[in-house]
Amino acid sequence: MNRAVNVARMQLINKWTFLGVPAIVIAGAFAVSWAIWALIPDSVETQMYSGAGQAVMWYFLVLGIQSLTLTFPFSQAMSVSRRNFYFGTVGLFALVALVISGLYVVLGAVEQATNGWGVNGIMFSFPWISDGPWFEAFIVYFMAMVLLFMIGFWAATIYKRWTVTGMVILWISVAAVVLALVALATWTESWPSVGLWFTQQTPLTVSGWAALTCVVLAGGSYLTLRKATP
Amino acid sequence: MSDSNNAVIEVRNLTKRYRSEKALDDVSFSIAANKIYGLLGRNGAGKTTLMSILTAQNFKTSGHVSVFGQSPYENEKVLPRICFIRESQKYPDDFTPQHAFRSASLFFANWDQAFADRLVQDFQLPVKRRIKKLSRGQLSAVGVIIGLASRADITFFDEPYLGLDAVARQLFYDHLIEDYAEFPRTVILSSHLIDEVANLLEHVIVIDQGRILMDDDAEDIRGTAHTVVGPAAKVDQFVARREVLHTERMGSFASVTVSGVLTDAQRDEAMALGLELAPVSLQQLVVRTTMAATESDFGGTDRSAETLEVSK
Repeated sequence: MNRAVNVARMQLINKWTFLGVPAIVIAGAFAVSWAIWALIPDSVETQMYSGAGQAVMWYFLVLGIQSLTLTFPFSQAMSVSRRNFYFGTVGLFALVALVISGLYVVLGAVEQATNGWGVNGIMFSFPWISDGPWFEAFIVYFMAMVLLFMIGFWAATIYKRWTVTGMVILWISVAAVVLALVALATWTESWPSVGLWFTQQTPLTVSGWAALTCVVLAGGSYLTLRKATP
Repeated sequence: MSDSNNAVIEVRNLTKRYRSEKALDDVSFSIAANKIYGLLGRNGAGKTTLMSILTAQNFKTSGHVSVFGQSPYENEKVLPRICFIRESQKYPDDFTPQHAFRSASLFFANWDQAFADRLVQDFQLPVKRRIKKLSRGQLSAVGVIIGLASRADITFFDEPYLGLDAVARQLFYDHLIEDYAEFPRTVILSSHLIDEVANLLEHVIVIDQGRILMDDDAEDIRGTAHTVVGPAAKVDQFVARREVLHTERMGSFASVTVSGVLTDAQRDEAMALGLELAPVSLQQLVVRTTMAATESDFGGTDRSAETLEVSK
């Protein structure tokens, strides 16, 4: 297990990848959003939303892909077993996601306390997500980040093992499943109940579905990685 | 580790198939501890595939591989004792050589940072430049430094000299020999620059089209083939009933490479016939053996097929 911890330490050797770049992305996204809020005349009394907070989450998708295409081959040269690479990498991402989720919850509290950063802007404490107790928002942010990372990581394991053919089959299959579900809902005329189901979801149930998806993706990527070659 | 008969790697009937193509075809050999091995062969002969399977970076189709008496795959007792930097090694996108060396120090227990620093100086490697911006030679140097300074019990070097200039290559050979003398370990060096590494090697394994053509101690190989030069008729007389690896003819003269150790009587016979005998370098021997194997592959069992190439 010590070597799994070293896999995480190895990825922190370059401080920029996991600490510097995310910090810049969050700070940059916030600065741009704040500037736009400040530019809009005060006469508008409504709250202004910015989705820029998700920028760092998409960076996680990229990191998930890169960890497989570049860090995995390097870890093989470091004589790291696939198992240790997997646990070290997924563990590190979970840890970083925890820290950023915590940061978002704190920033959300500051946002509410300062009346939207003094300009009535909203970037971290959205209605619905932050309506409940603090840990609900924390869980939503955390699951969103882990899910995006797992999607990138899982897609990259498929690519690593079956290359372009794997990718094509994968996305055609995903599209086919989505189409099948849509067709099913249409033929059984159950769109109203589907709509109702979506409205009934709470931040916690959405996080639950995300967690379930993550577990499936995590299991799938582990089994795929076991036989991947650098 | 008490390995039976001192072998650190045992390979039996190893086959690797990529779709219909056989990259390795029923390969068997063993590697003894604390020797320097040369894994020689042409590009695409199967050298990298073989090393990848020995280090569990790739998977065999069938056969048996054991390293330190165990299967290397996902084996925490085996993997930390091996180091294999491939010729086309990938590094994390934003890594510099410095980052790579710090990683290596996390995973290789015998890592010697002072030694790595000395190698960086010798190879004049810019350690703060991103690896993807390095030249081919500098990239090779990164792999060479990790391979040497990790001092793993089994170290693989996969064509480590690509892009390195003559001075850097000599530095590598010198450091390898020097460090090996101080810290004996098993080294497997894949190469097609055979003459350059010939003096380093204690044992030679030649692989071609996925098959082992030669697996002998370097000492034994030297002198196992000779080139006989002289008037064609007399050369033919001398080489009759010997295994001919290669024949060159120029007018009435012939130069024939034959395998087999010569006895004193045979040397006298050659002298009496007025023939010149010359030893064959390891590179020549490998080239001739490989070409002879290829020729027989194409149905021509006539290994002494005449070639009309002009030579010294």
